[in-house]
Amino acid sequence: MISLRRKKNKEGSLTSQGGGPSLLGLGLSLPPLLIVLVFVGLPILIGLTFSLGFTTGPNRVIAIIGQQIHKKNHWWGTLSAYNDVIHDSRFLGDLGLTIFVTVLSTTLVLLLALSIALYQRLIGGRKAAVLVTLSIVPLFVPVVISAWAIHTFYGGDGFMKTFFTHFGVDFPTLTSTPSAIVIGTVWTSLPFAILMISSGLQAIPDALIESAKDCGASVFRVIANILVPLAKTPIIIAASFTSIGILGSFTIPLFLGPNQPTMLGVEISNFFGAYNRPQQSLVMAFIVFAIASGIAVLYVRSNIKSARESGRL
Amino acid sequence: MTQEGNDMGLELKGLKKILGGRVIIDDLHLSVAPGEMISLLGPSGCGKTTTLRMIAGFLAVDAGQIFVAGEDVTALGPDKRPSAMVFQNYALWPHMSVSKNVAYPLKIKGLSKPEIAEKVDAALALVNLLHHKDSRPGQISGGEQQRVALARALVQEPNILLLDEPLSNLDAKLREKVREDIRQLQRRLGITTVIVTHDQEEALSISDRVAVMNNGRIEQFSTPHELYNAPATEYVATFIGSLNRFEGDLVSGLIQPGAHVTGIRPEDLTLSMQAFEGSHPGVVELIIPRGHFYEVVVKRSDATFRIFASENIPAVGANVHVGIKKSLRYLNGKLVA
Repeated sequence: MISLRRKKNKEGSLTSQGGGPSLLGLGLSLPPLLIVLVFVGLPILIGLTFSLGFTTGPNRVIAIIGQQIHKKNHWWGTLSAYNDVIHDSRFLGDLGLTIFVTVLSTTLVLLLALSIALYQRLIGGRKAAVLVTLSIVPLFVPVVISAWAIHTFYGGDGFMKTFFTHFGVDFPTLTSTPSAIVIGTVWTSLPFAILMISSGLQAIPDALIESAKDCGASVFRVIANILVPLAKTPIIIAASFTSIGILGSFTIPLFLGPNQPTMLGVEISNFFGAYNRPQQSLVMAFIVFAIASGIAVLYVRSNIKSARESGRL
Repeated sequence: MTQEGNDMGLELKGLKKILGGRVIIDDLHLSVAPGEMISLLGPSGCGKTTTLRMIAGFLAVDAGQIFVAGEDVTALGPDKRPSAMVFQNYALWPHMSVSKNVAYPLKIKGLSKPEIAEKVDAALALVNLLHHKDSRPGQISGGEQQRVALARALVQEPNILLLDEPLSNLDAKLREKVREDIRQLQRRLGITTVIVTHDQEEALSISDRVAVMNNGRIEQFSTPHELYNAPATEYVATFIGSLNRFEGDLVSGLIQPGAHVTGIRPEDLTLSMQAFEGSHPGVVELIIPRGHFYEVVVKRSDATFRIFASENIPAVGANVHVGIKKSLRYLNGKLVA
């Protein structure tokens, strides 16, 4: 692409002069940009207008079918649907559970991934290699299968319950509780976090660790002062991707979680389908989207900072 | 454990290291006086870096003992040893500023903030980098990074300073400058220093004594002058400087078949257009310019010699006379008096 651009620059036909944006470059990037705009941007825009009470045009049919539809009463729309949702105690319970599960699961995933990746980086050897390989296995198991496996393991008639009953111990039933969602999300999210953090730690040269030890640093200090700060960017990427994934998770909470409160991914689906309240469903989706955007800002900021530090920006 | 009657800066006793089933270091002994600067010199794979890493504590020894200032440190980890190392690639932490890099070992020791600030400024002033204290390592040159690494090592006030090929990443001009800086600093502070290098010029110019290593053993540990003028083994004679090596003895100025190996430095040969006492005739085969002198290859009836000459350079094909001022004699690889 660079050679193409240079060639065209010489001819002065397709590209602008003085190093400005290239028309050819724009042309090449246009198809994916259009696909994103049409298939992602446009539905988001239509959804946003519907949540604000614009019930005509592309929203006309769904406004007829759906229940408790609020129509706009200002030029910019109405916040009545938003008002419905944020004053709904069920939504507040769902939001609380969603945030609780997201924070707890992300924390556990990061702690586990960091521990395994640090073990691999500092100790290494065959045991570490086996551990990392095993921890990546969930990546190759479909989520629905994992959910059922966890269900049969921790359920009321599951393996754990049966096993402990033999010893006269009443093992708690974890399915249909937030604990089962946490177990499920940790299981499914761990491989990506390990791959991300492990690659970040492996990229740190041995000499940087040895020089810290030479300065008198204990293993704990090497981890806290050298390894974690140097792997900060992959850790933040792992944290943001994991938390956004958990925030919007559907299969795990549907199969393993309680009915009420439930996570917002399930509740959005219920509101859209079972309760036939598409406008409120969209409002919830936008609230989840807003939270995810906040997490995404952290990710983008970290990327920009990393690019600046490495001189790419 | 304190070594009885030991006043050494550093003492290595019978060190052995096996890596991947191969003996890398075998029965290595070395004594370094306090305040002395020595070099471990040898080709790649001779075991010099392995030895340095054992002294620093990054590699456990398989046999032998390491004493620093009379104290047995063999069982101690790198964080507990009274040594500080300057790494080949400087190993500065990119997320910390220059001053934070230098302050790190002091922070670990638990010094107060004013004490740390004072010592860091002093260390940076020592290497003339006080103006870069707030810069990140990535914002300064390779030579400056090298000096920061040196300041970080010196600020620990170690008993032993270890330098692992510290100049290998610098260009030739800068290398000379930094080499002189290191030497001056070492002399001023009187710190016992071990430097690992594969560059013989660097080793000979910077060290009080040089240990030439080969296959995990020290071939000779002497002053640069002794090493060059009286190499104890044939290996050292060929490794240090240039050498005309002949299998045979020197008899009446001619190389004759014999049991010894004869070595003659190119500068120990005299080249003249006229015959002189002890000289023998030859023909110039090749002339190689080597900067401020020429390397002249002369074929005589007994052997072909490489001679360093700086004036009266003959032409190729000229008839010349070559005399031998000094030679070295080896039997089974050892110097014969």
